[in-house]
Amino acid sequence: MSNSKLYKGSLTTIILKLLNESDKMYGYEITQKVKELTKGELKITEGALYPALHKLEADGLLDVEVKKVDNRLRKYYKITENGEKESSHQLSELASYIATMQALVNPKLSLE
Amino acid sequence: MVKLSLKEIRFIENYLIKNEVKYWDVRLELLDHIINSVEEKMTNKGLSFNAALQEVHQGFGNNLKTYVIYNHKLMKSGLYADKKGFEKFTKQKQKELGRKYRNQAIKTFKNNMLNYKFIVEYLAFSGLVLTVFQYFPKITVFSGLLILMLPTFYGFYHTFEEKALKKSLSFNMVGTFSILYWSIYNLGLQSLTFFYEKTEPKPYEFFVIMLVIMYQFLRSSMNLYLKILKENKALYKLKLS
Repeated sequence: MSNSKLYKGSLTTIILKLLNESDKMYGYEITQKVKELTKGELKITEGALYPALHKLEADGLLDVEVKKVDNRLRKYYKITENGEKESSHQLSELASYIATMQALVNPKLSLE
Repeated sequence: MVKLSLKEIRFIENYLIKNEVKYWDVRLELLDHIINSVEEKMTNKGLSFNAALQEVHQGFGNNLKTYVIYNHKLMKSGLYADKKGFEKFTKQKQKELGRKYRNQAIKTFKNNMLNYKFIVEYLAFSGLVLTVFQYFPKITVFSGLLILMLPTFYGFYHTFEEKALKKSLSFNMVGTFSILYWSIYNLGLQSLTFFYEKTEPKPYEFFVIMLVIMYQFLRSSMNLYLKILKENKALYKLKLS
């Protein structure tokens, strides 16, 4: 992942959130979706994405489905029931982190 | 949208094979990603095939290095990508697969413990082993090793029979699991021969208890093995279709 070290800790949250909102996605599609949603601000490198996907798969938070597309195999990732629970847990943790940071960085804004 | 030719796709696949991505089940995900990414860079950035491929290499963590060769007094130079990123990718995948199978084996083990059919089977096996042990202790203990090695023999048989299992990381990993149980048992037997060489009778009781305990792990490892075998065969069939 480029841009900032700050984003690194949120990679699994981003992946789980995206997969929670769609039926299934493949690795490259995830990188493109993040790029599109953040208007190119956040670029996930392959070297960061796949270790995160494989870890989530090993933890049972993601499931895999392989399909043949354009005469080659494509691996799709789908969120599991446990993954959905983990996603909402991580998102609430992230929201609380953002609120805490807001209170520290911009106290006036956080009071509003 | 630019579409890569079959020749270009083969070039990428051969490059991966030459650069230590020897397992086909690891390569399939890399290949699809690289093709998608190269096509997108060629379309949106107007890059050449080589330039787009270089960018993808960097994304995976491969370093681009300059090479210089002398050929008939002429010096040629160029760029090549090392395999550092792909090696890391494979190692990391291997580590996570190991974790995934360990979790699955624990889950199967727990399910077996709650399954009355398995409990009956386990009690029957334990009873049989303990009865035979009363009459033939040495034979029981050494036959135990062969029983624990059954998934490994099964694995060897399938590796020769099934193309799907050749150079498959998932099958390699599940095979390692089955070797683990009998290796521990075998190590114990070797130690027994070494440390109790002149002692008679030898403490075979320890091994028969170990065999009875390990039978549960053997069965969960066998279940996992059969599951991965089925998945791999289906995936390979899809690859060839």
